This record gives sequence, C-alpha cells and structure tokens, in this order.
Amino acid sequence: MQQQIITYIETELLAGQENLNLTADEDLLTTGLIDSLGTMKLIAFLEETYDITVPAEDMTIEYFMTVNDMAEYIAARRTANVIS
Amino acid sequence: MSYTLPQLITRAAATHPDKPAFRCLGKQVTYRELERQMHQIAGVLKGVGVKKGDRVGIFMARSLETAAAIYGIMAAGAIYVPLNPGQPVSRTYFLLKDCGIEVLLTNDGQKRNLPAVITAESGVKTVLGTTTDLPCQTMSWTEIYAQDDNPPAVNILESDPAYLLCTSGSTGVPKGILHTHRSGLAYAELSVADYNLCENDVLGNHAPIYFDISTLGYFAGPMARATTIIASEAHVKMPASLAQLLEKEQITVWYSVPLALMQMQQSGKLSALDLKKLRWVIFAGEVYPMKHLRRLVNELPQAKFSNAYGPTETNVCTIYNFSELPENMTSLPVGKVRGNTEILLLQDGKPAESGELLVRSPTLMQGYRNRPDLNEKAFYKRPTAAGGTEIFYRTGDLMRRDADGNLLFLGRKDRQVKVRGFRVELDEITETLLRHPQVTAAAVYTRTTADENTEIAATVTTSDPENLTEADLILYLKKELPPYAVPANIRFVKEMPRTATGKIDLKALQNRMQTA
Repeated sequence: MQQQIITYIETELLAGQENLNLTADEDLLTTGLIDSLGTMKLIAFLEETYDITVPAEDMTIEYFMTVNDMAEYIAARRTANVIS
Repeated sequence: MSYTLPQLITRAAATHPDKPAFRCLGKQVTYRELERQMHQIAGVLKGVGVKKGDRVGIFMARSLETAAAIYGIMAAGAIYVPLNPGQPVSRTYFLLKDCGIEVLLTNDGQKRNLPAVITAESGVKTVLGTTTDLPCQTMSWTEIYAQDDNPPAVNILESDPAYLLCTSGSTGVPKGILHTHRSGLAYAELSVADYNLCENDVLGNHAPIYFDISTLGYFAGPMARATTIIASEAHVKMPASLAQLLEKEQITVWYSVPLALMQMQQSGKLSALDLKKLRWVIFAGEVYPMKHLRRLVNELPQAKFSNAYGPTETNVCTIYNFSELPENMTSLPVGKVRGNTEILLLQDGKPAESGELLVRSPTLMQGYRNRPDLNEKAFYKRPTAAGGTEIFYRTGDLMRRDADGNLLFLGRKDRQVKVRGFRVELDEITETLLRHPQVTAAAVYTRTTADENTEIAATVTTSDPENLTEADLILYLKKELPPYAVPANIRFVKEMPRTATGKIDLKALQNRMQTA
C-alpha cells in the first residue's frame, strides 16, 4: 500500500520533479512538499482506492503527515467499517 | 530618534525578555532569544557582503526561523523578500534575478527544492540556513547561532525600505511592492489600537510571509509584546488540526483568509472546542460568503469579528467590526476608514458617491520596485494649498458608502480577482496560456463554486486538438504560475464566442461554465 501511495504522489502530485525517491516516513506536510490542493487530491485518491471515507474531523496531521501514517489510518478505517 | 521594525524586538526584549515571542510546532523563542538571533543573522549577512538596501530572499516553509530571518535581514539594513517554495522554479528564478537577490535564508525543510533553484546561473552567491550541498557558499543554522550577537552598526531610517512583497502582474510579470519600516510600523500601530492588542494576547498567524496578512503576527505581535503562534504548513493543510491548535494555544486573536475559517467550520470542531479566550476573529483577502459567516458568528458567540480590507500596497485601510449580523444584511461592508488614513471616492476624476477608492496613509507602500511606469499610474498626486503634494494610491476597487457611512465593495476596475485570498491577475494567466506553442486563443475567467468560493476556469482553442489535453496544459501552467493561479479546469472549444466588436465574449463563456 505504501508504495502505491508513493507512486501516486510522485506521478500525480509532484509530476515534473525528478529523482524524488520519496520514503514512507518522510514528512510531506510541514516542509510544504505537497500543497493544499495536492492534499485534497491525495485524500480523494485514498478514499477511492482503498474504499474508505475520510470525515472532515479526521483531517489531522497525525493521520496524514507521512505515507506510513496514512497506511495506518486506512487500515484502522477499514477495520472500523468491518466492525460497524 | 528613528523607530524601525527591528526595534520592536529590542524594545520587547528589554521589557519582556522571557516572554515567548513566537511559537511553532511546539518550539518557541523568547524576545531575548529572538533579539540575539536577529543580531547574529544580521552579523552573518554583513560578513557575506550584504549592504543596506540589498534584497535578501527568504525561502522556507513557516517556522520559527522565518521570524528570525525577517528580523535579521531588516536589522542588517537589508530588505526581506519572501519567496514561496511552492511556486514553480521558473518563477522563483525570475524573482531572484528581478530583485537582484544574491543571498538567501532557508532551512533544511527545503532540501528537495534548493538544488533546482540554486544553480550556477541563479545569481545566488550565499545560502544561509542549510546543510545541503549547493554550488555556492552555505552556512547551517547551527553555525549562524554560534556567531557573535553584537548589534550591527548600520544606520537605518524609518523611511528606508524594509520588505518587498511580490504579487501577480497583469502583463504576465510579477511586481514588487516595496514597504518601509514606517509603513510596517504604522500598520502595526493601527492594529494594536483597533484590536486593543496587549501582552496577554496570543495571536494566530495563518498566512505565509509572502502574504501581507502575515505582518499582523510578525509586526503587531511584538509591538504589543504578545505571543504569536505560527501555524505550520501541516496545520494549514489539515483543518481539524488547525482548529485544535486554536484551543491548544488558547489563541485570543485569529487572523486569516475566510477559506481557513470555513475549512475549520467544515471540520466540525469549532463549536465543540474550548475557545472562550478567542476575542477577535479577523479575516481579509476575499469576501466571506454570508451563509458561512452567519454560521461562524453563531458558533463563536464570545468573539468579535472584523472584516479587514486593504490591498498589499496600502495595508489594511478599512475595517468593519461586528458581534452579530443584521438579519437583512446581504453583503458584508468593508467598513470604516482607519485612523491616520484619508480616502477619496473618484469617478472620472471627480469626488462621487461611488467610484474608485483612493487611499492616503503612512501605511502606504513606497512604490513598485523599479517600475516608474506602474508608479506613475498607481499614485494620484493632489496639490495642497501650502504648495505641497498629497499622495494617494489608486486601489482599482470600486466602492460606495451606505447610509451608515460604511464602505461597500462593488467590484474591480480591471481583471484582478481573489482566489483563496491570493491576488490573481486573470490576464497574467491568459498571457501564459498564449505562450504555449499549441494554444491559439485563450480566455480566463472566474466562476462561483457550489460552496460559494471563487475558482478560475479557462477556455482555449488549439492547433493540435488530437494531442493536446487539459492535463498537459495544467502541468504546463503549474510550471509557470503559483499554485493558486492554476485554473481548476480548462475547456477546449473549436471556436471562441465573440462579441459584436470581435472580442472574446467572456460573459458567454462564464455563463456557460457556471451552468455546466
């Protein structure tokens, strides 16, 4: 999952930038690597690809700072869906 | 004795040395520490050859180093030029050249962006605040903060330039708005007075430093000896975290574009949080959609609200303060003229009930840098009876006064629009599209989205309809324009609708897009 998200970020959000080699534990938000619009697109991609809904109150740094954070969040959302 | 912006820090350090001046991502700097850092940076800048009046770039995401960089550059007698790290490399390049920037302050958050920007051709000779390997002289923050902190010997007058904000220009070339210590201080003084800012205040700073909204936190905060919370890039992108920051820091005065507040409203957290200390919510940059504003006022009954208006050239020159909104109000006034400020409403050169707003105030810019042509058009000079001249800035904004003496915004004289608070010249986007080899005609306009925000849209004709796609053009524009100026969508047509005089019929395109 991590690699799939990284590929999306590199090819869709940061297209045109060379030799990115993003890592799953890299801070994507604080440095301004992805802009506000990119963040929205990324969340839409995660929702569609992993069949989850990200409610507005979950738009937090803890869940979206790194690709690893996102993967953890997605797993938790899916489990929550199964239980409910 | 002259009074300059860096003196805000030395004065606060003398009276409130241990008070936190700025806080960002859990780290903070006191006034005493900031004074020391400011002098260290100024000393380093002097050491690498920066002289009074030189332009020094700041290329970093919001952080504590941003505050140190701003004040360090000004303390060296130089002019700080904020550069948006999120803008295309070509634009940063243009600004580096156009402003003659040879020294840049940055931090390691930009290690991915720096090598593309700092090339042998960029003209940059020194990059401070980085450990990245670059083809020029560099120095890390650890090294900077190990230097002497003697105040630099430089004679700065309050009428000297202090900062340069670069904004969209209609001919496709950005223009630099030059502000002085005096104009920055005059703005801070008015803000301290209008919002009764004091040392107990905690100011929420949401705007990036290339946006003039940032100067409330950076200048008025230290003037009041308050603490300014710099919202990090991460908070700005995550509205639920931003709302939590308001509670965690017990922010008393919030200032941002309406969009940031609307996003926090949508995150559903605002009314559930403990925000009882929040006493002022100030917004500026664009119109707050009435239905969202009414909700906000209901959600924050403890706060007063202020709609602040003023182009970057003048700083905020009118404000409309309210605690509740009259039932029958359909559009929010930009309010009454601030102290120490005079306005004129002119139509065809004569005073009128409604017309273009002209502003005279010590908060006014010195002028557009190196653009005598623009300055000639922007300033209106009124001779006085005593034989002097009073200088007004022509805002290009059309206004009228209502029965209560409040000013109401009617529209623009030209094709400048606001998107997410940022000023965008639609003609700059048109010019950029027309430079694309396969674009034969282009029209750029705005439309209102379902949630009442403004977005940019474009329609083009092409010589290569088989191959050129919307995605190609968006990618092309992303390399040329700041992110907020890239249209949300671009449509292809075989032929542009034209008016009787042969001009592209923008109204027709706009209506078509609005209903699409």
